[in-house]
Amino acid sequence: MDSINNAKEIISSYNRTDGKKLRIMEVCGTHTHEIFRLGIRKLLPESVELISGPGCPVCVTPVGFIDEAVMLALDKGATVCTFGDLIRVPGTEQSLAGARSKGAKLKTVYSPLDAVTYAEERPEEQVVFLAVGFETTTPSACLAVKKAKAANLKNFSVLGANKTMPNAYKALKNSADAFLYPGHVNAITGTKLCEDMTKQGVSGVVAGFTAAELLTALAVTIELSQKGEPFFRNCYTRVVKPEGNPAALKLMDKVMTPCDSEWRGLGVIPMSGMVLKDEYADFDARKKFGLPKITGKPNPACRCGDVLQGKCKPCDCKVFGKGCTPMHPIGACMVSNEGACSAYYQYGLEG
Amino acid sequence: MCVGLSAKVVSVDDDTAVIDAGGAKRKVSADLIEDLEPGDYVMVHAGVAIAKITSDDAAETDEIMEGLN
Ligand code: SF4
Repeated sequence: MDSINNAKEIISSYNRTDGKKLRIMEVCGTHTHEIFRLGIRKLLPESVELISGPGCPVCVTPVGFIDEAVMLALDKGATVCTFGDLIRVPGTEQSLAGARSKGAKLKTVYSPLDAVTYAEERPEEQVVFLAVGFETTTPSACLAVKKAKAANLKNFSVLGANKTMPNAYKALKNSADAFLYPGHVNAITGTKLCEDMTKQGVSGVVAGFTAAELLTALAVTIELSQKGEPFFRNCYTRVVKPEGNPAALKLMDKVMTPCDSEWRGLGVIPMSGMVLKDEYADFDARKKFGLPKITGKPNPACRCGDVLQGKCKPCDCKVFGKGCTPMHPIGACMVSNEGACSAYYQYGLEG
Repeated sequence: MCVGLSAKVVSVDDDTAVIDAGGAKRKVSADLIEDLEPGDYVMVHAGVAIAKITSDDAAETDEIMEGLN
């Protein structure tokens, strides 16, 4: 308990006289939500600014991906299996929920492996799993593909938008003074990469998700930032090991290979995505259904792109809380439970 | 979708584990963790156990804060 009080004390007594703020980016959307929910924002002094970063996979998935999924469901007659958060994300013309009202068949799953089971049970349906997510989720999609191949399933494929963090950190390194690294990404990848980033002047700490862990991570960030050197510290040691999860890394390496990837708001970041290797091409929905290249058009009012880079706060968006609410989302950041706009809306924060 | 679930392993059968998360039991994949045993705590994500948990958050916090001094 003492250590938590100590952490709180470090946070609340931080003060700067140079008029600048210590800008800390919560890379992970779950961090954003937990920090709000636990009331940690109220402890923060004036000199600390939290910025919500790009770590919600639903939020950074571009509009064109939704359009592809809608096309698979409506034009190709596939059954689309997806994590629930994606269903209400607006596409160029419609969301998957909109497609469902026109007859598209959707199935919400908790795990990609459930989509494989669903396909096994319904050989008459073509089942497509929407694989979004970072290093935390990608191994489960790889596992699903591996199992589908082993079972010689002909009616299962994935529409992939898997992303990897390293190059996003690099693209965003000037957006913040330090990153709160997403604990569950590091549970897979380990800590070497983040440690190495200190050599490029990028600071950060790996954070867990409980009140104790988040307070500790913030206190450590504040303390180390005052030493004037780039720093790294793992503050989620009970889950994140330096080597990560070797079995998961090996599996990803076997099934997928890096590719360029488009991030909503950040554009195409080189080698920041993962795509199925050629030997798994039969399970790539784009190839299987011969999808054309689709460029989606986001709603011009939506500032998700700026929100995701910490360039503006959700409440700086003209339609925040007016045209755009969780019931009627205009952008992805308002839909997902981990989105910054939804956090600001849900916790009633103006600024 | 990224929220992890911490849970206790009740039983392990080949590549599947039954976990107990606050009284609710469910089956998850144990493919990605070697030597999983009943009684272990794991972090589960999208139906897959992704890491073993080695202590509780209070012990972790104490250690990290002490390391700061
Ligand atoms: S409030 Fe809505 S429209 Fe504005 S940036 Fe957020 S999601 Fe986009």
